[in-house]
Amino acid sequence: MAFTLYSLLQAALLCVNAIAVLHEERFLKNIGWGTDQGIGGFEEEPGIKSQLMNLIRSVRTVMRVPLIIVNSIAIILLLLFG
Amino acid sequence: MHPAGLAAAGTPRQPSKRRVPVSQPGMADPHQLFDDTSSAQSRGYGAQRAPGGLGYPTASASPQSAFLGDPVSNMAMAYGSSLAAQGKELVDKNIDRFIPVTKLKYYFAVDTMYVGKKLGLLFFPYLHQDWEVQYQQDTPVAPRFDVNAPDLYIPAMAFITYVLVAGLALGTQDRFSPDLLGLQASSALAWLTLEVLAILLSLYLVTVNTDLTTIDLVAFLGYKYVGMIGGVLMGLLFGKVVYYLVLGWCCVSIFVFMIRTLRLKILAEAAAEGIPVRGARNQLRMYLTMAVAAAQPLLMYWLTFHLVR
Repeated sequence: MAFTLYSLLQAALLCVNAIAVLHEERFLKNIGWGTDQGIGGFEEEPGIKSQLMNLIRSVRTVMRVPLIIVNSIAIILLLLFG
Repeated sequence: MHPAGLAAAGTPRQPSKRRVPVSQPGMADPHQLFDDTSSAQSRGYGAQRAPGGLGYPTASASPQSAFLGDPVSNMAMAYGSSLAAQGKELVDKNIDRFIPVTKLKYYFAVDTMYVGKKLGLLFFPYLHQDWEVQYQQDTPVAPRFDVNAPDLYIPAMAFITYVLVAGLALGTQDRFSPDLLGLQASSALAWLTLEVLAILLSLYLVTVNTDLTTIDLVAFLGYKYVGMIGGVLMGLLFGKVVYYLVLGWCCVSIFVFMIRTLRLKILAEAAAEGIPVRGARNQLRMYLTMAVAAAQPLLMYWLTFHLVR
């Protein structure tokens, strides 16, 4: 079984990169998941779709700078150690 | 000398392996070196650690008095021990930021009767009636007093036993090598982490207002290792058919156990008492509970089938 903690880390990094790479204007607005299209008032039930949109927006805002750092480290380590 | 040797010298089991005499003149009572968990909340944690910590340098001075005769090494040893005490203080002050030690101690406040009853519950949960955790002034009761409370002792021990049993199983098939043990442990830990993250994500998406903490979740997800160990051991002893039978029994038991435990935590109170509440939200929560419970047998099979051939 080759599923190790290291591969989990790699998968997590790739997933976060994928979320960060989504283009706001060309993609998210076209499928109705833009950041200004989600706030539908303060009802009781946020619903899964608005939770997802919130999650994507928060991940993109929070992880922008740490991702640059972690990606640079990953690139250097992969160049050195393969 | 290392303090572990001194602590072991206090136990009567290995007097012949250690060179130091059993009774040390300046040594504190060995039981005081460990935490007293006989009370549900031990407030004297910090106070009890200090005398035990300072007991190390003074006790280790006597067997080495012949070796460190000159004053320079005496001074060096005193400086080194004061440095070690300072470092220990620093770690003690800051450990609470990274690992919630006080919260973790609740999960390890178990005794033998609790462990026995819980193991029985994991293998046969069908007759147990009341699954609610008792509360004592807003805090849940320690696992020692209520068999429904989650604990981390059984999952931790079961995980370690699983790694050892996996090594045993690989050894009987001549496939063993020491790094495979680390690979098994890492793989099981990775699956556990993935499960915890997936469940936390789905709990966030479904906006469940629950008091299910992350450590609680780790505890519940760790209970499946008990069934896995049972299945693999029976499979090693009696063959593949018995492995499938025992694993099937443990899978069904864990399924029922998880549903009955998680139902109280995830679903609303009305639905938990057995009254079917209509509504999209409760239905979604029920689906989530069933999905979490159904993932357990799958993972139990996935992590053990390659061990029994």
